[in-house]
Amino acid sequence: MLELLQQGFGAVFSLNIMMLMAVGVAMGIVFGAVPGLSATMAVALCLPLTFTMGPQAGLSLLVALFIGATSGGLISAILLKIPGTPSSIATVFDGGPLMEQGHGVKALGVGIVFSFLGTIFSIVALMFIAPQLAKVALSFGPHEYFAIAVFSLTLIATLSAGSMVKGLFAGALGIAVSTVGIAPVEAVRRFTFGVSELNGGFSMLTVMIGMFAVAEIIKLAESGRHAVQGKARSVSMKNIKGFGFSLKEFREQLPNAGRSGLIGLGIGILPGIGAGTSNLVSYIIAKKRAKDGHTYGKGNIGGVVASETANNAGIGGAMMPLMTLGIPGDTVTAIMLGGFLIHGIQPGPLLFISQGPLVYTIFAALIVATCMMLFMEFYGLRLFIKLLDVPKHILLPIILVLCVVGAFGLSSRLFDVWSILLFGLLGYAFVKAGMPAAPFIIGFILGPMAETNLRRGLMLSDGSFAEFFTNPIAGTFLGLALAFVIWQVFSALRPKPSAINEILRT
Amino acid sequence: MNTLNKKELIIGIAMLGASLAYLVMAQQLPGHDGVDAATVPKLLAGFLSLLGVMQLVSAFAKPKVAAEPASPVPAEAEEQPTEVIEPRTVLKTLGLILGYMALLGPVGFPIMTVVYLYLQFLVLTPVKQKARHLTYLLIAVACSAIIFLLFREAFDLLLPAGLLNNFI
Repeated sequence: MLELLQQGFGAVFSLNIMMLMAVGVAMGIVFGAVPGLSATMAVALCLPLTFTMGPQAGLSLLVALFIGATSGGLISAILLKIPGTPSSIATVFDGGPLMEQGHGVKALGVGIVFSFLGTIFSIVALMFIAPQLAKVALSFGPHEYFAIAVFSLTLIATLSAGSMVKGLFAGALGIAVSTVGIAPVEAVRRFTFGVSELNGGFSMLTVMIGMFAVAEIIKLAESGRHAVQGKARSVSMKNIKGFGFSLKEFREQLPNAGRSGLIGLGIGILPGIGAGTSNLVSYIIAKKRAKDGHTYGKGNIGGVVASETANNAGIGGAMMPLMTLGIPGDTVTAIMLGGFLIHGIQPGPLLFISQGPLVYTIFAALIVATCMMLFMEFYGLRLFIKLLDVPKHILLPIILVLCVVGAFGLSSRLFDVWSILLFGLLGYAFVKAGMPAAPFIIGFILGPMAETNLRRGLMLSDGSFAEFFTNPIAGTFLGLALAFVIWQVFSALRPKPSAINEILRT
Repeated sequence: MNTLNKKELIIGIAMLGASLAYLVMAQQLPGHDGVDAATVPKLLAGFLSLLGVMQLVSAFAKPKVAAEPASPVPAEAEEQPTEVIEPRTVLKTLGLILGYMALLGPVGFPIMTVVYLYLQFLVLTPVKQKARHLTYLLIAVACSAIIFLLFREAFDLLLPAGLLNNFI
């Protein structure tokens, strides 16, 4: 392993890739920091840039964007009191008050350093757990894959915000859209209406660009002209030593950070829920366990530590099912999956055998990008604060143009450009209907996987469905999925929903 | 609260409508006995329709107080209670995007991007701000040129040049 990691670092430490990653981390931080832009958007828009790069350079850039965008959310959470991404919601609770009390730099420093520690912790966990998980996954057949896909879909559809019916509908609709094109196994054309461009189905990237970026622009048009854009207050970096907090404070927060890191990692591994949930869960647990729990929400750095450690620890967690099973846990890893596929790499257990050096290059890139994030975010803070002030009515139209370029770049056809408009409208309709977009995306990606493995599994067992339930692993996952739905229905019917359930749903 | 109930009803109708349309299309797929390419779409259509019905039922059954917040991001909605919604700006934006995409092929990326960006900046300019025509135009031209040339030279992506085909 050490040898492979050494090779990985060797590949990353080239001038070309280092520069790309520095740009990636900086862009990621901007996308994370500006409310309305997201990590998904950052990776989706930069994916076309990697088409002509090699897999090592391309994936390093995407990884850098992912890390930058996940931690960038804390800047606006503390300075504007608006979370840049859902993963920084709990950062606002204590980061905002700290800023008002004049401890803005301390809050930012704590947030950035513990983001760094959370990420590193999760990457180390990823490096040790993922290869073992891949070994187990090697023995998985179609029955297991079908069950895991169904389990992941159920989890994401039932846990996403809003009502469960809408979440399940969004997931199922995603699968329905994925059935457009040539069917697996039999190669029958489905729902193509004679349009040859539809033979290959809709491209994943156009679906995601449409749902997340184009829909966002239409949404801005709705209310943006009357919205008041918060002005980011700057912080003075004069007389600041280190990262703005003392070693004693750092030591005091270590147990909190360790616990939050484990929560973030654990929740990150589960498909469907990620950093958006783990930051709230770990905040609440940190508040309960702390001796000075009553000061949480009034400017306790413990709140920032809990939230930021947990959301960044989700990075390694979310990469685990992606790299070992090819199953994305959330929308960012879904688009990362697109990045892998574009470079001709199929994530899954075989990745660790056939592409060992590349896997460790990704691990190395994750570590290097995290270190870059630590210094760039803190010492380049003033620059990022300036970018927060770029007016939305200038920024979002430019992003739309980049969306068009990205869609066109996929295979140089205008059909893909029209697709992003179609999915943009659908995404906007989802927003208006209070329907979550994430289950749709995961359904779209996992749908073909579930169908193909269902068909293969049935062929193996001579058309009998029984094997899906008698196979121990497949049976367990299907059982868990069913139990989960029943639990959700039960808790929805109960008059007093539990606190943890409330968090999961919001 | 009544409006919310009506909204949930409309959502339910839209869900059911989409499911039934999918069901009809799935029925027309060629198939044979046993599990075939039409099986999964048919099952899916059934499931979608069931969910549509459940949504309709819940819209009727729900008492006046709605349990779920209508917005997927309730935290934001709470912060901006007096959000003004402008359907006209949405329509204008959609029109602009539509025009941009339709003319991208014939007129070309460089010209259409300048036109689109300039007009879109104007449409989205906040009500309290004055439109700065020259700045907008300069930003539009610069963005269009930088993106076009960057992708052409650095990333080997030939965006449609359209009318400028003979000049570039």
